[in-house]
Amino acid sequence: MIDTENMVRYISPVNPNVFPHLTFVLLGIGIFFTAWFFVYEVTSTKLTRDLKKELLLSLVASVFSGFGIMFLLLSVGIYV
Amino acid sequence: MFNLLILCALFINAYSLETVNKQIVNKNIERSIDLSSQLVKISATLTVENTGKESASNILILLEPKTKSNVSYISVKNSLKEELKLTEVEVQDHKSKQFYKVELSQSLQGGRTIVLTLEIVLTKSLIPYPSSISQKDRQLVRYFGSHYFYSPYNTLKQKTTVNLGSRNIESYTKLKPVSQLESTIVYGQYANVQPFSIDPMVIHYENNSPFLTVTSLKRLIEISHWGSIAIEENIDILHSGAKLKGPFSRYDYQRDVGSSHHSVKSYKTVLPAAAHSIYYRDSNGNISTSQVRVRKDWIELELRPRFPLFGGWRTSYTLGYSVPSYQYLFKTDKNQYLLHMRLLDHIFDDMQVDLLETKIVLPVGVSNVQLTTPYEVERLPDSLTYKYLDKKGRLVISLRKTNLVEHHIQDFEVVYEWPSSLLFHEPISLTFALYVLFLVIIIYVRLDFSLHEAKSEHVKTQ
Repeated sequence: MIDTENMVRYISPVNPNVFPHLTFVLLGIGIFFTAWFFVYEVTSTKLTRDLKKELLLSLVASVFSGFGIMFLLLSVGIYV
Repeated sequence: MFNLLILCALFINAYSLETVNKQIVNKNIERSIDLSSQLVKISATLTVENTGKESASNILILLEPKTKSNVSYISVKNSLKEELKLTEVEVQDHKSKQFYKVELSQSLQGGRTIVLTLEIVLTKSLIPYPSSISQKDRQLVRYFGSHYFYSPYNTLKQKTTVNLGSRNIESYTKLKPVSQLESTIVYGQYANVQPFSIDPMVIHYENNSPFLTVTSLKRLIEISHWGSIAIEENIDILHSGAKLKGPFSRYDYQRDVGSSHHSVKSYKTVLPAAAHSIYYRDSNGNISTSQVRVRKDWIELELRPRFPLFGGWRTSYTLGYSVPSYQYLFKTDKNQYLLHMRLLDHIFDDMQVDLLETKIVLPVGVSNVQLTTPYEVERLPDSLTYKYLDKKGRLVISLRKTNLVEHHIQDFEVVYEWPSSLLFHEPISLTFALYVLFLVIIIYVRLDFSLHEAKSEHVKTQ
């Protein structure tokens, strides 16, 4: 058996206490960009549509929502 | 040719049987048998003398006949409280008897004495008699043992103290000199007892302590590198005392407030101090009759099954909680981690567990897994399990052991390698899934299902 007294304890890279706050911030930004994306899709016409803007908006929305959903899972106790 | 001879010699040596060293004598034995719970706890202080001239490197410990399957825990310590190595051995001319060989830390010189402490815990050795009782009756049990300490050596002096935990003794065998004071019976001192001598001891007494057997304990440990370890225990409990005869009256049960019940109303489980998110449920759902009390160094959980447990009745439930990972997870090297946790944890005091199955779910993508266990356990084949947001599956280590008691609450260690970049495996896969969804929408709005020519729209905008 190894002596654990002098060993480095593993600490999570993010303090579990800030999970709920992170969820709010990240999911908030994610939902904002998702909404922007959908509004843009609905209001723009074939001529005014810009593929670059669509791709950029959806990328930002999915990155923030993706991380937001994961922190939501973590903060409700589903440790992935 | 010479090599062959050595090989033969080794072969013979490995298969030769142990012999009883007649030079060794038990100078004094103080034995105490604790029968106050559902377990039989025997502890003995042995003063062993080597009367011969040659030094002895090991001595033999002998189990009483027919107790082999009941022995849950056995240990021998020397006077410095160091645990000595025990191995099961067969002894010449006594093949039917169950021996353990104790390897002494220092060989015993001729004429010297050594003091050893032997500890044995037996399960299922207190037999309810009568075997079925009504709701109001007291539970009486019988213990079968030996007045003499069963030993392959000559014993000069010995004394046995039996603690019953109850003053109500129906009967006990009286091999003189014997004395009884309240709940204690003292046998001896007996002088010059021959090797292998046995004299049946039977004690019939009242024992209302909870006779609960955990017939199956399935323990699941799940590691998350986001800072938590989840533990879930699936527990099946059987009241293994005297069976309930006749009907069960809830009215009589509520009215009779005396503490001398053989039934079990509730019991206490001790959880680690850092445990949180505790749940207690069974197949019907949450069981609300539980209480959590935070003590200084642990968390006490009072569990009350849905119904009081009488002899022969059983219950099963799930108990789960989470602990922060910094308490049990260590970083030994770059990308190498060590999990240091209990293989079995406390369920109730003086518990006996028939079957333990511990499963350790490691994170996704581990390699080079090494396991160290505090005692011998059966390792079942590894398997894979899928949890939330898993594509690859997680490695599961399964361990199994039968017949355990509180002394088996010890730590195991798992060392594994795991690249820390895999921490972002879950959020990135979520992000990817969402991005695919957005792309589908981008493609969908570009599809034109209208029957009209696009020209008309073109005209409109102009």
